Amino acid sequence: MNVVVCVKQVPDTSDPDTEVHIDSSGKGVDQSKFSFVINDADNFAVEEAILLKEKHGGEVTVVNVGSEAANQVIRMALAKGGDSAIRLDDEKFAGSDPVALARILQAAIKDVSCDIVMTGCLASDDGYGAVGVALAQLMGVPHAAYVKTVEDLGDNKLKIGRELEGGLLEMVEIDTPCVLTIQTGGNEPRYASFKGIREASKKEIKVMDLAAAGLSEDQVGEAGSVAVMVQYSVPEVGDLAEILEGDPGETAGKLAGILKEKGLV
Amino acid sequence: MHEIFVLAEHRQGELRDVNFELLTLAGRLGGKVTSVLLGSGVDDFAGKLAGFADKVLVVDDPMFAEFNAAAYQAALKALVEQEKPHLVMIPNTGQGVDVLASLAIEMNAPFTTDIIGLAIEGDKPVATRAYYGGKINGRIEFKDAELYMMGVREGAIPAGEGGKSGEIVKVDNPVSEVAGRKFVEYVQPEIGEVDITQSAMLVSVGRGLREDKNLPMIEELAALIGADVSGSRAVVDAGWLPTDRQVGISGKTVKPKLYLALGISGAFQHVTGMKGADLVVAINKDPDAPIFQYAAYGIVDDLLKVVPALIDKIKEMKG
Amino acid sequence: MSIEEGTFVQKYDLLGCIQCGRCTGGCPVTVRTDLNVRRFVYDTVDDDRLEEISEKPEIWDCTTCNTCAIRCPKGLEPFEVLMGLRAMRAEEGNIEPTAISALESMFNNGNPWGKAAAKRTDWMEGVEGARILEEGEKADILMHVCCTSAYDPKLMPLVKTLVKVLNAAGADFGFIGEEEKHCGSEARRLGEEGLMEYFDEENTELFGRYDVNRLVTVSPHCFNSFKNEYTNLSLPVMHYTQLIAELLEDGKLELPNEVVTKAVFHDPCYLGKKNLVFDEPRYVLGKIKGLELTEFFRNKERSLCCEGGGGKMWVESESKAPRLAETRVADAHDLGAQTIAVACPFCWLTIEDAIKAKGYEEEMVVKDIIELLGEAL
Repeated sequence: MNVVVCVKQVPDTSDPDTEVHIDSSGKGVDQSKFSFVINDADNFAVEEAILLKEKHGGEVTVVNVGSEAANQVIRMALAKGGDSAIRLDDEKFAGSDPVALARILQAAIKDVSCDIVMTGCLASDDGYGAVGVALAQLMGVPHAAYVKTVEDLGDNKLKIGRELEGGLLEMVEIDTPCVLTIQTGGNEPRYASFKGIREASKKEIKVMDLAAAGLSEDQVGEAGSVAVMVQYSVPEVGDLAEILEGDPGETAGKLAGILKEKGLV
Repeated sequence: MHEIFVLAEHRQGELRDVNFELLTLAGRLGGKVTSVLLGSGVDDFAGKLAGFADKVLVVDDPMFAEFNAAAYQAALKALVEQEKPHLVMIPNTGQGVDVLASLAIEMNAPFTTDIIGLAIEGDKPVATRAYYGGKINGRIEFKDAELYMMGVREGAIPAGEGGKSGEIVKVDNPVSEVAGRKFVEYVQPEIGEVDITQSAMLVSVGRGLREDKNLPMIEELAALIGADVSGSRAVVDAGWLPTDRQVGISGKTVKPKLYLALGISGAFQHVTGMKGADLVVAINKDPDAPIFQYAAYGIVDDLLKVVPALIDKIKEMKG
Repeated sequence: MSIEEGTFVQKYDLLGCIQCGRCTGGCPVTVRTDLNVRRFVYDTVDDDRLEEISEKPEIWDCTTCNTCAIRCPKGLEPFEVLMGLRAMRAEEGNIEPTAISALESMFNNGNPWGKAAAKRTDWMEGVEGARILEEGEKADILMHVCCTSAYDPKLMPLVKTLVKVLNAAGADFGFIGEEEKHCGSEARRLGEEGLMEYFDEENTELFGRYDVNRLVTVSPHCFNSFKNEYTNLSLPVMHYTQLIAELLEDGKLELPNEVVTKAVFHDPCYLGKKNLVFDEPRYVLGKIKGLELTEFFRNKERSLCCEGGGGKMWVESESKAPRLAETRVADAHDLGAQTIAVACPFCWLTIEDAIKAKGYEEEMVVKDIIELLGEAL
């Protein structure tokens, strides 16, 4: 079973104290203080791909759209068991929305034989959660989003479990080839040791630019996008907790009201 | 904005609350609001949706007895081609996400996902989205088109009062067959062994609980709001909760929508484990407890007094 | 992972072991877990069994306190066998999820706590006289703040006080700033030898950028790694208690204020057992007027590990028995001590937790020697 897994390198915002500052252009953020990591959901996708390889054999191809700095994330996936990698790198790719990104990925893998393409279900920086589903449509194959469990039924069919609100799993039979976007928590991502990552540097990462991908400028970047983020702004939010005042009956009442308003109760 | 389609979401006999949020939003944009309902034996759903829409377009067919993204996409494509709405809104949920991007591309409609705000400026939509976990917002503008699609975040827009009486129109199923994907069954998450890393809501206790005799009231509160119980290392060490309920650097890292921190001081090693929580509410006797720096709302009082009152108030609300 | 013949036997000199059992007999953790390090030394002679043995959960119970090594009549280091097994697990990617987060954070952020590198110097806010050294800048002392002290809000005040104390003594010292990273000690203890090598390289290069005479650390763990484990570091390394002792001896630091308390000093394993530094902390405490210093029965080489190091901050034991830190606190209580004096950030945190667990908050408090010095200024 050949699997293509798409990985994204994102700023590490897992620390709740991480500060995000809008830069002078208003369309970007100051990246100078960030450290960069593999997108959380993509980490689970990599693990799922490796588990399938361990069970059924086949090859895992790691694909990324990014600059040389993204090699860190690619190498980690290779260290965990990926066989080869493709990185798409061109300044024209910048500003691509999910549609343009899907187009770039499709171009990269058109010559890669695969049964499943996996992406993370959404990215922690922009949270669109659309690239995988968009890619499936462009490729003309079935797809499923928020996948937590994958089982090979043979005969070009998979049984997958999609996670819905509240943890309910929607079990679906899907034909391959297909695209699955992987939810977090469905497996336990293994550790890629430092030595392992260094060893993986020996595996080749094929780098493709716009021309090598066979795309034109109007198909990528903002030109190739249908929706463009034009301006960031800072939402109004308080720093410290809003302290609710009153005796237990009053504060409890206020809290109950807040929970109801937020649709949590 | 002459007509807006809003896809209705339902499963296991339940019409979900998110529908009324989206219909309320659509109602503010000007233009006819059409709720699109795909299902089997869904007359009562149509009736409820009619209170929030100008029209309810119903396809009632066994094909839609259970959600199937491929069937939904095919049906929506046919209905959109037929009615030609200007905008299609879909809940950005487990079901909706599985339909939106692929349908939008198939129909060449500019789209974006997970919006928290939407306005019409000069007959074109402009959306607001959250970035970096909500630390900043972004304004989305779209390419010119005749048709746009939006995925709307659940809980972002409060549902209104409704007050409409939409015309219910039943149409034939435009989809002849569905390929590539088949619904098998629903599987409930296992109760018994709770994995708090997957819990949507957590009621978490610390030393402020005083003794395990007080645990039943916590469990009652959790059950009432559909949350799981977790705790700091201190209560696990004391044997009041099993190890798999421990939140913190040597325990679990959780990412619930609600983290109710009761009697937890907010030590750094604990807080690191709850970093993924969307909303943190803290109750602690100590006004200087560090937990308040991580909470959106706080009550400075004894949890043993507030929790019983909270249980009463919530019971009252639920009626 | 393929294992060459005789690897463990050669690396750890396993055939030198006479199976006397003094190691297990002195191991503080055996009172609460199944860990039997003597048995591990015996079993790991057989390479074919290494894979199976590395799966035993007890290998994570070891705190690397060094008691077994100090007691071994043949000069072996039994705990190193356990670390070798942890290293095998790390190579395969098969370690506790909590350890994975810590290790990934060490590489990505330079600290195991998941905190941004950009926030490493947040503790400096509002502090006077804390200098960040420029490249090539000259100073007597390069001060290395431990990751835990730099990021944990409970310990950040300690570092501020240290700056005050050193300024009072007129010391010429500076800090690295945001580029300061994990020393590698806990990376190695969690089995990540590769990551330890990385920090060895990075930090050695980093320290080399400044024109300083010596490197002084807040934590005994950093002290131990820089002094004994780094392969190419020529700078002399001291723990801050040694520096303070020197400043007191030279008459540069005066402690006019009385700090009236009955205190007991808890020897940190990495300062005491690992590096035989017992006298300087006691000398420093002795210079604080009004402080009555008493001793644990298990002091100096017999100090009872608090279970903070050796990866224990991230990997819990399966044991339900009371933590060693609680035993330590109970001992202090029996002695009538009002202050437990420590000289290590891990000891500070575990003992503070233990005081709360035992319900002794009204009767005793944990204080780092730095805090006591601050009060004595």
